[in-house]
Amino acid sequence: MNIHTYEKLWLIGAMLLIVGFIATITYGSVGLGIAMIDDSEETIDPSDISDDDRFSDPRVEQVGDNEYEAYVVAQTFIFRPDPIEIPENSEVTFQVTSPDVIHSFSIVGTNVNTMVIPGEVSSMTAEFDEPGEYGVICNEYCGTGHHDMEGKIVVVPEEEFDMTELSVDAPDQVDLGEEVSITATVTNGQLEDHETTVTAEIGNETFEEDVTIAGDDSEELTFAVDADDLGEGDHDWSVDVDDESESGTVTVGDDADEDEEETDDEDAAEETDDDTEQTEENDDE
Amino acid sequence: MTSNETPYLEQFPGEAKLVKAAFWSSFISLAIGALFGVIQVLHRTDVLRFIDSADYYTVLTIHGVLLVISFTIFFLVGLFTWAITTSLDRPLPSLRFSWGWYGMMVAGMLASAFSMFAGFIDSIDVSASVLFTFYAPLQAHPLYYIGLVTFVVGTWVAGFDWIRTWWGWKQDNPDERIPLPTFMVLTTMIMWYIATLGVAVALLAFILPWSLGLVDSINPTLTRTLFWFFGHPVVYFWLMPAYMMWYIMLPKVAGGKLFSDPLARVVFVLFLVLSVPTGIHHQYLDPGIAEGFKFIAMTNTMFLLLPSFLTAFTVVASMEHGARQRGGTGYLGWLKALPWRDPVFTGMALAGMMFAAAGFSGMINAGMNINYLVHNTFWVVGHFHLTVGTGVALTFMAVSYWFMPQLTGKRLWNRTVALVQVLLWFVGMTLMSNAMHRGGLLGIPRRTAEPQYDGFEFEAGVGSVAELDAQIVIGGILLGLSTALFLAVMIGTVLGPRDDSLPGNNYAETLSGPEDAPLVLDNLKLWTIIAIILVIFAYTLPLLSIISRGGLFGFETGGLPLSISLLGSTIAATFGELLPAAGSVTAPLETAATTLTGIVR
Repeated sequence: MNIHTYEKLWLIGAMLLIVGFIATITYGSVGLGIAMIDDSEETIDPSDISDDDRFSDPRVEQVGDNEYEAYVVAQTFIFRPDPIEIPENSEVTFQVTSPDVIHSFSIVGTNVNTMVIPGEVSSMTAEFDEPGEYGVICNEYCGTGHHDMEGKIVVVPEEEFDMTELSVDAPDQVDLGEEVSITATVTNGQLEDHETTVTAEIGNETFEEDVTIAGDDSEELTFAVDADDLGEGDHDWSVDVDDESESGTVTVGDDADEDEEETDDEDAAEETDDDTEQTEENDDE
Repeated sequence: MTSNETPYLEQFPGEAKLVKAAFWSSFISLAIGALFGVIQVLHRTDVLRFIDSADYYTVLTIHGVLLVISFTIFFLVGLFTWAITTSLDRPLPSLRFSWGWYGMMVAGMLASAFSMFAGFIDSIDVSASVLFTFYAPLQAHPLYYIGLVTFVVGTWVAGFDWIRTWWGWKQDNPDERIPLPTFMVLTTMIMWYIATLGVAVALLAFILPWSLGLVDSINPTLTRTLFWFFGHPVVYFWLMPAYMMWYIMLPKVAGGKLFSDPLARVVFVLFLVLSVPTGIHHQYLDPGIAEGFKFIAMTNTMFLLLPSFLTAFTVVASMEHGARQRGGTGYLGWLKALPWRDPVFTGMALAGMMFAAAGFSGMINAGMNINYLVHNTFWVVGHFHLTVGTGVALTFMAVSYWFMPQLTGKRLWNRTVALVQVLLWFVGMTLMSNAMHRGGLLGIPRRTAEPQYDGFEFEAGVGSVAELDAQIVIGGILLGLSTALFLAVMIGTVLGPRDDSLPGNNYAETLSGPEDAPLVLDNLKLWTIIAIILVIFAYTLPLLSIISRGGLFGFETGGLPLSISLLGSTIAATFGELLPAAGSVTAPLETAATTLTGIVR
């Protein structure tokens, strides 16, 4: 075959370029460690994700020193959880699955971008060095509401980050002469010890207690006031720790009025802030 | 080749009619597709929204299918019919048979189009707003799939028709080399037969039975992989007719000869061999496929650059030869001697130039781990509007200015308008695709009605999103105008007066002819076997792995039917299957279901 000299040179140049490209990509994989989404995760039946301990409760979990796992469900047309909160300087492994159609999980402005296919779990690890917010979008057409499918990742400064959860056990009614006692259970979802301050208010009394909670553990704190000091009637209480907060009302008074008063209270409380917060709290559980 | 005095219409009047019909089918698809494209740029950028955002996806489905399936492939069958008959100097064996495959393609496309258009009308429950890629578990009405299958089978029969024409010629001319245009048709069609097996299996074995309700489960990764088995080579199916034009038409209109016939054959053989075992590069970000398989697809894809590099050389060398024949001199001075006033030449040259630019964005797409940055972003849309949207489409439009007079015996109306048309396309696409590429780098997604989000904004390093949107809108409108001008020229030509001084039906001669090409290049059996072996290598293990992971028929899913149903019970039943977890306590799931019901109406 007759090949012109220039064409031969061109051919050689083109081959070198191609080999160069392949070498660049290989360097990206081997040298820089950019792994591809692959088949390392087990498959999952999309109709059973509510039985999977990762995806039945989509959340962020700490798995090591500065290492976190985020279990995310992408479905028509939302991401759960939303927002995803993680600390700065952390390494986060996202595990994402879909119960319905093909979606994507794409963090805007980064190269965290994966298809989410029902039946498969997409797993990828990314480092978050600086605090900030990122948009998360679905970039695979998933139905008529596709353009509404978005979420958010909030990278929180290290010192502000916690995985504290609060639950409070408080009486609804206390007789005069007895003690109003509120028990707060503070759980630390992180693996390291967590130092924090729990504040509580019962009526006009305020309490503040510093506490250190061991990693993946919880502490119980009890705050008590004499019912006589509060006096007869309704008294608000609240407990605050980190960003968590719970509040309610306790009635001090004799038994006879209890039922009636409580009903009244609940009706009255319908529109107050306290009630809203409690509803939110319930949802989280 | 041979200097022929008569135009195609006089040489093969029957075939000319068929080619003309195919071209008009193609142009009608172009007209609707382009109009919908303009609607999309206005909607996406929020400049003018007169459709519901939910209907955007119906518009997008029609835009995609009509342009990349109907426009391109109808043009291809016309062009290939011309190429076979002209280069073999032999009519098709039976015109009735040929009209048969054309009719099949038309019927198939009409069925699919009906189904897609039904997406606009609530009372017709056959819609198919699943986009060109129809990824399960999104589900269209069976009519959509049946239409596509019929259309593709039509192209199979057309291929058979061309092959038997060549076979007949071969019996009469046992010692002659396959003429170059016929060689190109044959290699392209063999590639097409291999490639379409993927989509045929996906549709006939899995998606169609599932959409008909015969089976109730599907493996989305499997059907997706089978789609891309076809989905990548289909881009070469669009491209090969354009390449053919660059090889056999561009040198002629430039005033010269094709630089090298043997290398043209090498290029088409490389496409035959390498087109199919690369499809997984569309699935770099798919879970459930091992990194090794993706790496193999990446390597194969990179080697596919080779035939395009060779083409770039040959095309430029042929143009230079033409320019020098026309008196051009100097290192670059010869460029001035090219016939820039000829829309056929200018359109093809600009198309080739933009295709070269697309080659570079394609390398980024092909770069496995770099692909994370651009996958499913607007970048990709910018990329394929340069490849199929310009490299192919502009070439088709430009050569139509030569073909239409050949097919009708009419004088071209009007050369100046035609020249303006190709230039407008070039300018419009430069603006639009540039902005799309840049938008993609900011993370703006493709395939979305409203790339404006509540929780964040896309941050442009240079310029702004508003500036990108402006470029897209201006570009899109120019492209719409250009399409209108093209159609005006086509209609004007058909309605215009006869031209008795039409040039003969000829294509470019060669500087280095087939006698320089080793005989082995014409051994199609050998290349077919090699192509099949490569496909087996590239796909057996991934497919087995996908099947062993997700099951041949996957898991039960009612799919997300994008048919609009008025029956509340249908919706309820669908959600029962679609959101099996809805029964569990998770409140957001129910919210999602509510949203969905709201939209499905």
